[in-house]
Amino acid sequence: MRVNDAIIGLLLIAASIAVFIATLSFPEFPGQRYGPSLFPQVLSTAMLICGVLLVIHGWRNRTEEHWLVLESWTKEPWRLGSFALVIAAVLVYIFASDTVGFIPVAAVILGVLFLWLGTRPVTATITAIVATFAIHWFFATMLRVPLPRGWLNTIL
Amino acid sequence: MDAIFTAIGLVFDPYVLWVIVASAAFGMFVGSMPGLTATMATALLVPVTFFMDPVPALGAIVTATAMAIFAGDIPAAMLRIPGTPASAAYADESYAMARKGLLDLNLGVNLVFSVLGGLVGVIILVLCAPMLAELAINFSSFEYFWLCLLGLTCAVFIATSSWLKGFVSLLFGLLLATVGIDPAAGVPRFTFDNVDLMSGIDFIPAMIGMFALSELLRGVIIADKKGSVVAEKVGNIFRGIADVMRRYWKNFLRGSFIGVLIGALPGAGADIAAWISYAISKRFSKEPEKYGTGHIEGIVDSTAANNSSLGAAWIPALVFGIPGDSITAIVIGVLYMKGMNPGPTVFLQNPQFIYAVFIIFIVANLVMLPLGWAAIKSAKQLLRVPPNILLPIILLFCIVGSFAMTNSVYGIVLMFVMGLIGWAMEENGIPIAPAILGLVLGQMLEQNFMTSMIKADGSFLAFFERPIAGTLGVVTVVVWAMIIWRSVNSKAPAIEVAAGPAEGR
Repeated sequence: MRVNDAIIGLLLIAASIAVFIATLSFPEFPGQRYGPSLFPQVLSTAMLICGVLLVIHGWRNRTEEHWLVLESWTKEPWRLGSFALVIAAVLVYIFASDTVGFIPVAAVILGVLFLWLGTRPVTATITAIVATFAIHWFFATMLRVPLPRGWLNTIL
Repeated sequence: MDAIFTAIGLVFDPYVLWVIVASAAFGMFVGSMPGLTATMATALLVPVTFFMDPVPALGAIVTATAMAIFAGDIPAAMLRIPGTPASAAYADESYAMARKGLLDLNLGVNLVFSVLGGLVGVIILVLCAPMLAELAINFSSFEYFWLCLLGLTCAVFIATSSWLKGFVSLLFGLLLATVGIDPAAGVPRFTFDNVDLMSGIDFIPAMIGMFALSELLRGVIIADKKGSVVAEKVGNIFRGIADVMRRYWKNFLRGSFIGVLIGALPGAGADIAAWISYAISKRFSKEPEKYGTGHIEGIVDSTAANNSSLGAAWIPALVFGIPGDSITAIVIGVLYMKGMNPGPTVFLQNPQFIYAVFIIFIVANLVMLPLGWAAIKSAKQLLRVPPNILLPIILLFCIVGSFAMTNSVYGIVLMFVMGLIGWAMEENGIPIAPAILGLVLGQMLEQNFMTSMIKADGSFLAFFERPIAGTLGVVTVVVWAMIIWRSVNSKAPAIEVAAGPAEGR
């Protein structure tokens, strides 16, 4: 996904203005000339300049550089699906892991991804379960990371 | 002297040696898998090293990266796909050699000269770092301000094809670093009253996102594409190495020193070192017409250069706390986590720890010889690991690894958001490395900037009054003037070499 530089430039201009406005509410200290807002203000000014330069650059090249270019893989449903599935997997983990627990969520994520990417069902199932328990053992038992237990809490 | 013995004791401990061997195997594996980079190996290692003592933690990172940079050469020769971007400069040349039936010699040269180049990098690190530290002990906020700025300038100037986009990336990183409690006055900034954001943008999950998740998103859409292994059998890889050494020892030395220089410069790492040393080798060769047809000469230069840059990147990292490449950027994060703030004082307060790093570097490079040989011998099996099994497991590692850094979902959210941003940036030709350097150095830059501003009380001349600060300041200004002058006078990108696929690691 490639967009014209002018679009990136506009985004930067908007972001830098937002940052600058946010810095205005930072407290000032009496007797001190340089407060916590100075450094972000310098940065956002520089970013504003970069944004303007990118807009100029993108506008000049607007004939060669399209506003939005989608690579060929975005037109193939399977590849697009792989991409979306990775994003979905992280989102599912973020929202479900606390209640459901690490082991079921991780095993399902792995299994679905394996299958989608073309692993045979038996291999996918076995690998998903083994990998989940291996990672759980490594992080939860060896490194004592408090991976969410979720449903296991009520069962055990 | 005592410190050296303490350091030896720290390193030659069964547990530390076990960690070194295990991370060596890990580095070999990651490096030889196309699409998995040395920086990614480091980013995935950090959550694990978080739970270790400083010496094994650093040992794991040093060893894994050294192995990964070498192991990237194996698929370059066998599949024409570089395992890490650091091998991209000579992947075509290596593949051409393999096609000519010279695979054994190619892999042997890659292994031996990687080891030797790595050792040159270590020697320079051992010689230079303590000297520089003695100099740096007298530095004030002015010197550190200019050093930070010069380092970040180099990152923008060398490492990217478009300085404007590099600068955008850097500003983004610096702004991210301002989130949280401000270092001078203790005021919360850009936190939106969120407790998690009060502690700032946690650096490791951000790294994992930008370097691992974004790479994964790129890898998963081509998970069904595989290269074909060119040679089935690997024979005696050490035959003919002595001849190469006799003929091309000058190339080896030149490559190693270029690697050291590029590695020590902030922002540019092993990949750029390999591109530049390959280009220089061709320029000064007596037979430049042979380059690209499977000629060993340029490979000697560049395979030594990418490994020697690794050790050199630690010089500015240990002495000034300014990373020499994206790997040492992670290392600096680890050092802060372990409560050992990098800087000249570490050399006084914890010399045993500095010596331990030196010793680990030497051990890692020596271990590379047998382990690299084993990796080459088993390369056929190694390269057969299907990406459709590997990628989902790495995804789970990213998730659990970033969770482990905060022990909350915040780490995962951060990793996710930064991963998507990193992916979009790379898609649009905005490099990631400057953003990471900005995120790491942001607080240091601001602190020194604010202290200097208050000391100078608005007089800009004060920034140039001390001799070293003045020199650094003038150099920084000159570099910026050069960048602007060049972009006004020509439409070509800043540096030709970097126009190659030189991004991340």
